Amino acid sequence: MHREMKARDLRVSWLQKMGPLAGLLLIIILLSTISHDFLSMSNIFNVLRQISINALLAFGMTLVILTGGIDLSVGSILALSGVLTAGMMGMGIEPWLASLIGIIAGAVMGSINGLLITKGRVAPFIATLATMSLFRGLTLVYSEGRPIISDDYSFVIMGQGYFLEIPIPVIWILICFFVLGFILKNTPFGRHIYALGGNEEAALLAGIRTVGVKVAVYTLSGIFAALAGIILTARLSSAQPTMGTGYELSAIAAVVLGGTSLTGGKGWITGTLIGAMIIGVLDNGLNLLNVSSFYQQVVKGAVILIAVLLDRSQKT
Amino acid sequence: MNHIERGITITAPLLSMVGIHKSFARVHVLKHVDFTLQAGEIHALLGENGAGKSTLIKVLSGIYSADQGRIHIDGKEQVFKSPRAALVAGVGVIHQEFNLVPHLSICENIFLGREHLFGRGWIRWRKMRREALLWLEKIGLLVDPSCKVGELSIGQQQMVEIAKALSFDAQILVLDEPTAALTQSEKKALFATLCRLREKQVGMIYISHRLEEIEELCDRITVLRNGESIGTRMTKETSMDELVGLMVGRKIQEQFPRELTIKQPAERLRVEGLTQQGKVSQVSFSIQAGEILGMAGLIGAGRTEMANLLFGVQKQDAGEIWLDGKQIRIRHPRDAIQAGLAYVTEDRKGEGLVLSRSVKENFTLPSLASFTKGGFIRKQQENEMAEKLMRQLGIRSTGIEQKVGFLSGGNQQKVAIGKWLLHQPKVWILDEPTRGVDIGAKREIYQLINQLTEQGMAILLISSDLPEVLGMSDRILVMREGKRVALFNREDADEEKVMQAASGGGSLLA
Amino acid sequence: MMKKISGFLMVALLVSGMLVGCTSKSALENEKKDKELKVGFSLSTLNNPFFVSLRDGAQKEAKQKGAELIVADAQDDTAKQASDVEDLIQKKVDILLINPTDSKAVAAAIRSANKAKIPVITVDRATEGGKVLSHIASDNVEGGKMAGKYMLDQLGDKGKVIELEGIPGTTAARDRGQGFHKALQGHNKVKILASQPANFERAKGLSVMENLLQREKDVQAVFAHNDEMALGALEAIRAAKKEIMVVGFDATEDAVKAVKKGTLSATIAQKPEEIGKQAVDISMRASKGEKVKEFYPVSLKLVTKK
Repeated sequence: MHREMKARDLRVSWLQKMGPLAGLLLIIILLSTISHDFLSMSNIFNVLRQISINALLAFGMTLVILTGGIDLSVGSILALSGVLTAGMMGMGIEPWLASLIGIIAGAVMGSINGLLITKGRVAPFIATLATMSLFRGLTLVYSEGRPIISDDYSFVIMGQGYFLEIPIPVIWILICFFVLGFILKNTPFGRHIYALGGNEEAALLAGIRTVGVKVAVYTLSGIFAALAGIILTARLSSAQPTMGTGYELSAIAAVVLGGTSLTGGKGWITGTLIGAMIIGVLDNGLNLLNVSSFYQQVVKGAVILIAVLLDRSQKT
Repeated sequence: MNHIERGITITAPLLSMVGIHKSFARVHVLKHVDFTLQAGEIHALLGENGAGKSTLIKVLSGIYSADQGRIHIDGKEQVFKSPRAALVAGVGVIHQEFNLVPHLSICENIFLGREHLFGRGWIRWRKMRREALLWLEKIGLLVDPSCKVGELSIGQQQMVEIAKALSFDAQILVLDEPTAALTQSEKKALFATLCRLREKQVGMIYISHRLEEIEELCDRITVLRNGESIGTRMTKETSMDELVGLMVGRKIQEQFPRELTIKQPAERLRVEGLTQQGKVSQVSFSIQAGEILGMAGLIGAGRTEMANLLFGVQKQDAGEIWLDGKQIRIRHPRDAIQAGLAYVTEDRKGEGLVLSRSVKENFTLPSLASFTKGGFIRKQQENEMAEKLMRQLGIRSTGIEQKVGFLSGGNQQKVAIGKWLLHQPKVWILDEPTRGVDIGAKREIYQLINQLTEQGMAILLISSDLPEVLGMSDRILVMREGKRVALFNREDADEEKVMQAASGGGSLLA
Repeated sequence: MMKKISGFLMVALLVSGMLVGCTSKSALENEKKDKELKVGFSLSTLNNPFFVSLRDGAQKEAKQKGAELIVADAQDDTAKQASDVEDLIQKKVDILLINPTDSKAVAAAIRSANKAKIPVITVDRATEGGKVLSHIASDNVEGGKMAGKYMLDQLGDKGKVIELEGIPGTTAARDRGQGFHKALQGHNKVKILASQPANFERAKGLSVMENLLQREKDVQAVFAHNDEMALGALEAIRAAKKEIMVVGFDATEDAVKAVKKGTLSATIAQKPEEIGKQAVDISMRASKGEKVKEFYPVSLKLVTKK
């Protein structure tokens, strides 16, 4: 009986980890045979730069989902932080300081989510559904519904510049990826996140400050969303009040594609990065192949479904 | 086949399973098991965890199909392709977890999926109600069938399950650990119902760990061990010792190996006036170093609530706690752990363990801080500790990275206890530490508890298993309705006195 | 249980208080300006500068002509628009201006206005059901044609072109695209290399353009179904250090600035303020019993540097 369990245990975890990667490779191979422009160095960096926004949101979302929660407000946090940052710069504040203010705003918004969920005992879905609308509304109020231009060179470089031939947004996601991966694997905080998602009651009884961990996780999600908002603003040289609408769904899709369980406790950050890449590569490939707008949505939906179904069949 | 029974009936058996064989990935879980059940008989199926009881039942109820062997019901051969097919052929199974929809009424639950209809879509409420009432009367549950199932007690819900099974014209009823969650009076009611069904010629297979119950209720007993059927005995002609011997394959001299070891009396833990509004009121007690204080009481007497209060899971409304003579404040489990308390909860899967994580991670969860340096977990040290602990506790798993969810019940319980050992606690709260654990593992857990007391740790042992409380405790505190109602010394306590106190018949003297 | 009941009581009190407050206030107002026309305006969204300008135009006109304008923002939510329209009917407006979030979904709301005998004028987006007094909108097909013709002039009748489409299935995307393709018809030396959706969003316009530039190294012009996408495409072109003519649509504040700066070649100005103004104006005329036409196309204009 034990041998059987071991084999199954190993097979499940191996497939769960390799499944998303295999899927990504399959899509890449498929696209590179159809389109010759696909595998060029410049296109690879292009795709990486494009996924940076979704990847950052999905990183935060991974932490939240690992605790068994969900954060629907990330798109709105992205917008409000971006608009605030651009607005501050418009008032003559230094770009770095404005960005810091944007990040802090993201942290505050995230912690509001966390407190609503823990102290207010509101279900994560409901709490963040409400703040999604709330933060979006504040974005519109602050910007009066109009885009705010921010074309200061030292700021714009954060989204458009290069460091050693590598786009700066790509460097951002690599830094966040390694730091997060390390935190999840090697620190008590990371362990606590997994334990909390696996069994909240057991985590509490093991002396983990579950409230603190949750608030921290939503705060981090807010910070990542704010960072994404600032990078997007820099990429566009302006902050749009409507930017980030619907991004929470792409982030959730990336997390799920990466094999992280929506019920919490199981998952990894590498999977999320791969999930974000799958979405990015698909978007890029569909553009390169000039697929008609109606079919694009069909293809994207089908890929997500296939990935999730494959994942399901491995687990049972 | 050398244990043919002559005594109950000579007629052909209601159910006969012959040469049932089942293996998973080359592991033989059932090895040519024979089993017979007469009409009007309660037949106990006994065995340790992993002996093959559940597999045999799953074969009988159509969840698994056997690799070899035959099943005859009323002399007719049956091959079940699905649980539904088994049900239709007259095999009803009452699982430990009920298959009831709490928001629906009793009547709706009984007829779920096969409602009486007028033509298409119109439900014949009146007819369903009438029939439901009939079935409820048959088992002696006098409740309005339009009551929502969620509003019933656990015992009553179980009765509904039985009624539901019977309404399929079940001649064979399988009961899997039916008393695990029942109170004393509910248990009595259940037994009365089962006896009534026995008179109506229903054949019943009764699975339980509790030998006393089996002795009281069952006519015959079949023991399984390692997938083989070891033997069948008439209850009247066997003894507990023999049964235990058959189950374990060796003789267990005494079930509760408690040796009194309080070397010098020194108060470890003192609790005064612990109160949580509406749940626990003014409970006081103390435990010496090396002492086991048993805590008895009926379900709902406030014992688990007491433990949660002591450990900081719930907020205390009043009360003081002293540890080694110093007063401590506990507002969060973290405070309790730091002070030196450990808590093994009643509900392992629900509260004690993170099933989706590894043995190692579960072990080190409460004491992660001691493996952390500069904010990072020291993996090597952690691995070494986990390996050591696993060997020490004799946990059977593929390694420290195996997910706890894949371990057997006894091994899970060892992890749940073991995770506190790294922490060297001073006081242990053990809530039902042996529930659902087989006899062999039970003994190991008792020995572990003894070792803990030898090291001067104080233990609060909460248990609904009276022989266990009486056998293991140095003193026994009885709770009722959130209050402490009695305290006995080991010598003065017996089952009757404790039960009396717990159910309200005893004196209020301490 | 007590808590629940007292909670209900509180809510009931609050609501009734608010109702009393509202009714007494409006009653007063009605006494004061008895003859003031009450116009209800259900907008699809204010989450977009275009509609903000449209509202501003309507408000200005209403103020000037002495009408009361009640604006409701549906936040791009068809369900919210339905209840907005219900609310406006309850407020007993004399005429309803509706800027539908969705041509199909709005039909039910318009029917209920029909039932309440309140005349309806649709603005910017048309409806596919219900009775409508008139429709006011800029002519998107004409605008698309305008953009196409301008592009042909600038390119000298030959070159390679990319089209960035709006949200698939929307009328604006359909009409603007249709006009653009019509304009290019018969000009065989102008080739459309790709038509890809970027959902009217700036960020999406940027990434789709980035992707297309990976494949198409030799592009002379881009037509985007709105300015947001056009400005996004401009960012991509700038980052790729290319010289490509971009034509947008809508003439938003940002886009007009970009045209003045010379980065955006041209944009088609819808005149949202003009649409808003005309909407109120036609409501006034209709309420005086004048006969109104079925459709008032609001003219568009090409905005270039000169």
